[in-house]
Amino acid sequence: MAAISTAILALRRDRRILKLPPYLSALLIIIGVTWLLLLPLNAYSRNTYVSENALLPGQVHTYFGGSEHNIFRAYRQEVSAISEKTPEERKESLVDILSSAGLKVGTQKFKYGVSGNEVEGENVYALLQGPRADATEAIVLIAAWKNMNGEINYSGVALVLTLARYFKRWSLWSKDIIFLISSDSTAGPQAWVDAYHDAHDPRYVASLPIKSGALQGAVAIDYPAGTWGHRFDKLHVVYDGINGQLPNLDLFNTAVSIASGQMGIGCTLQRMWEHNDQYLPRLQTMLRGMLNQGLGHATGPHSSFIPYHVDAITLQTVGDGWHDEMSLGRTVEGLFRSLNNLLEHLHQSFFFYLLMQANRFVSIGTYLPSAMLVAGSFTVMCIALWVQSGRPEDLKGKVGSTDEKSPAGEKEANTPKMVLIKGPGSSKAIVPITMLGVVERHLFLPFALLTSFHFLGLVPFYLFNHTPIPSLTTAFIAFTIVTLPLPYILANILPRKLTKQELMLLQCFTLLLLGLFLSALATLNFSLSLLIGLLSAPFSFIRPLGTTDTSSPQQKQSSSTTPIPPKFSKPMQPPPTSNPPTSSTIPSKTNPRTLILHILQALLLTALSPPVVIIAASSLWNVPGVSLSQVLAMATTGWWIHGLWTGVVVWLVWWPAWFTASFLVGAGAWF
Amino acid sequence: MDKQKALLFASAAGIRLLLFTAFPSLPAVLTGRVELSTPVTSFKRLQEGLFLYTHNVSPYDGGVFHQAPLLLPLFSLLPDPNRYPLATGLLYIFFDLLSAHAVTLIAETAVSRCSRLFTSPRKDSQYSSTAVAAAYLFNPFTIVTCIARPTSIITNTFILYAIANAATAKSLTFILALGFASYLSLYPILLFPPLLLLCYDQTATRSQTPLSPTSFTLSHFSGLTATISTLLYLSYLITGSWQFLASTYGTPLLLPDLTPNVGLWWYFFIEMFDSFREFFLGVFWLHMASYVCALCIRLRKQPLFATVALLGIIAIFQPYPSIADSALFMGLVPLYRHIFPCKSLLYLISPLSWSFLSRLTHTSPLVMRYSFVSTAVLLYATLLGPSFYHLWIYAGSGNANFFYAITLVWSLGLIVVLGDMLYAVLRDELEAERPELKGKEAQQI
Repeated sequence: MAAISTAILALRRDRRILKLPPYLSALLIIIGVTWLLLLPLNAYSRNTYVSENALLPGQVHTYFGGSEHNIFRAYRQEVSAISEKTPEERKESLVDILSSAGLKVGTQKFKYGVSGNEVEGENVYALLQGPRADATEAIVLIAAWKNMNGEINYSGVALVLTLARYFKRWSLWSKDIIFLISSDSTAGPQAWVDAYHDAHDPRYVASLPIKSGALQGAVAIDYPAGTWGHRFDKLHVVYDGINGQLPNLDLFNTAVSIASGQMGIGCTLQRMWEHNDQYLPRLQTMLRGMLNQGLGHATGPHSSFIPYHVDAITLQTVGDGWHDEMSLGRTVEGLFRSLNNLLEHLHQSFFFYLLMQANRFVSIGTYLPSAMLVAGSFTVMCIALWVQSGRPEDLKGKVGSTDEKSPAGEKEANTPKMVLIKGPGSSKAIVPITMLGVVERHLFLPFALLTSFHFLGLVPFYLFNHTPIPSLTTAFIAFTIVTLPLPYILANILPRKLTKQELMLLQCFTLLLLGLFLSALATLNFSLSLLIGLLSAPFSFIRPLGTTDTSSPQQKQSSSTTPIPPKFSKPMQPPPTSNPPTSSTIPSKTNPRTLILHILQALLLTALSPPVVIIAASSLWNVPGVSLSQVLAMATTGWWIHGLWTGVVVWLVWWPAWFTASFLVGAGAWF
Repeated sequence: MDKQKALLFASAAGIRLLLFTAFPSLPAVLTGRVELSTPVTSFKRLQEGLFLYTHNVSPYDGGVFHQAPLLLPLFSLLPDPNRYPLATGLLYIFFDLLSAHAVTLIAETAVSRCSRLFTSPRKDSQYSSTAVAAAYLFNPFTIVTCIARPTSIITNTFILYAIANAATAKSLTFILALGFASYLSLYPILLFPPLLLLCYDQTATRSQTPLSPTSFTLSHFSGLTATISTLLYLSYLITGSWQFLASTYGTPLLLPDLTPNVGLWWYFFIEMFDSFREFFLGVFWLHMASYVCALCIRLRKQPLFATVALLGIIAIFQPYPSIADSALFMGLVPLYRHIFPCKSLLYLISPLSWSFLSRLTHTSPLVMRYSFVSTAVLLYATLLGPSFYHLWIYAGSGNANFFYAITLVWSLGLIVVLGDMLYAVLRDELEAERPELKGKEAQQI
């Protein structure tokens, strides 16, 4: 044991060890990305299975059909008739229909003010008291009046009305069922579920007149076919919740197994209309899922339920095929019969998963390492920089040499004190004692700068959540133009230049914080953590080139030609694009290579700055209807209505890290 | 100097006032956090006890309130915190400032570097007392604790005053302060032996005639007993029964309330079969108390450090620890500037100039070795703790093991700080005894 510990002690002085971290850090990122790319393979992903025995999906005979079809068609006519009326009359008609089915009906008004814009509406809901229930548990069936694309959900609402009437006749419900017709797909369900849990702000959202027990699950139907109906091909199961939270996988599995196993309706997810179960579509599905999860926005009426620990999905009809509304109705009936069987809240199956097809997934244990490796790469570099910042500069005494030149800057030593270190076996080394020492670190300035950069992040955060929606785009572009050169300017107007050690410490702290935030975030929203981790991966490899070697700021001009220790000046390209160049040339200020690298670093950082990434992503997106203004509007409505945290992460974690990295590059330039 | 201190205290009070007034919902949110409020210190439970007390019901009926009875008349004097939250806030700010004042008193005695039996070879390296107080007042954990308003803040103040008075050889006030602290929270009684040693050392250096250790111990011990007995009798007079004894002191001793906290006990006792409960209660308490003797003997030359180390141990191994206990321990760490490896952030308040910073480039001896690791571990635990708690309680996608795992990490971070400091202090002692060993690798056996 003692031999090992001395070996390790001897090893930690090794210069080669100090050169290792950048490579190690790059390696971690490469492994993290490769890990992710391996996941769709059969060997790493699993077939889904229903874990909760009580669910028994598809084991019951469903009776929705026959004359119910006529009732459905009548309701659809009715819905299309009331769609032309005012919202107030519409509410009255819906209340009439639901109460004539023998249900208790309630309505709820809401009116959110979002950055000078008003989102308002009124939810109508009805409560079916389960004949065998004691009002302690309830399940929710939702049809939003308008779906996510703004189309009126004619058949969806009609189906919910029909099912309400149909379910009322059964005596087997052991949970209450709530039928909710919300006026839109995002704000309405949010207002309703907030009020259901008494977590609403009474200034904007009215309280609910009737309530039941704890919500056990929610299913939303999105079927916008008009008066004459439309036969669909597949069911699109949408499952992403607010802030990347997901419903229990059992709910998804039950829906898929009832739809495809019992009804023969194919299921698809993440807008992957064509999926041939090969590697690439699987990867694409997974990446789309991660992107949705990472953005954390509402993807349907179900999204708002998930933060309240109510498992919820939306069933959306897509394509032209031969399945009609009755098959959808029977699917929903089967699903509700399964949920009705539940003895306790869904808990058996996974809450953290990535789906790559309707029946294929990876669980958290398999995928989490990739985000953790990426977050860990920051911590590796941070520790390396910390160790490096404590190493004495200008070490000329070589290990084991008899060179009598004393290390510079040492007060007492004319002849350097040597110390004997025993290595493994019989190997020994004599090293100058200064190599074992640690120089005093000046923590104040790096710490102060880092703190102020993080507080600076509050400015865009406040700005983009308070600017009126019409002028958001202008504000954003103006902000981008102002802040892109800001770190470089700031680095050069400071009262004094930072020493090399302080720059190292600044980078060390920012990487520590980034690693810290990202690994904490990976447990809450894996995808967001990985996305930001990858986009900020180059921040570990940025080097303030051309920094002078002096420990005292007053001497900054004198040593412009001092060779820089290769370990610090070695420029690194961002992984995983290329390996770090291993050339041994020592760049200095006069070297044109340094200048080019400088410009490259600055360009890279500009390309990876949060505003540029947001602009690029929203304009390159090929999904119709996604533009910069919509993305910004969604972010601000998300923050005000849904409590979306993505903006907080972007402006208070990612942006300050980028700012610090740019500041470092700026501080290295123009010496 | 005094102006600086006034500025510091004013700004610390300002920050707390700002947090109390600008975010009116913040105190309630923080009060609900299990990391800050434990069953024996929670402000919410105090309100419950207060309600019962003002309605002439025994506050200990119902088994919610476990705090000392004398807090009730104090808090019943204040206006209703739901309507006038500022009054309560001001009281807590006042206690925080008092604590900081006690910290400056301790720092001014310089007893952490040179006491009767020991003078550190690095005694020139120190922070000013204002800087130490600033480290206490601006520690985010202290601030957050103050906003959450647990009664442990009052205990902390009394503990700090006990230390300060022991360090300045004021026997009477030392005994009174320690008596109050022990009366409020029971565990401060463990600090009596090291603080007695500290007080003895300090008195012995000041007095001309030699002091008899036996009579010194006996007089202080009887003084402490008298103080605590008086307080208990007063409590009896106030509540009208001895019921409070079982509730106030029985709770930490017997652990009936297993609300999660940052400590190590709750999970262990949830998992345990009832038949083993008494045995392990004994083991856990014995484990915590056994450090008192060991530290007093090993650190006889530095009784203040024995106290600080004991506070660290209490913050880790107490039945109901909270961030308040860790904040108290962290607040005393800057007294040991001479064993720190690096310039710290405290230049924020000391006369600040760039040239001053750049002059301090001499190499310092390697003393505390894991400061970076322990800081990183504590930071990770600080972030991951609330997020795992969220996953467990709110999102429902995690479970109790998540949170317990992170409390283990938190305790590990504190243990690393404590162990590292202990190593550094012993190393410092070793170098004082044998200067020729300076700079050599040494092994702790």
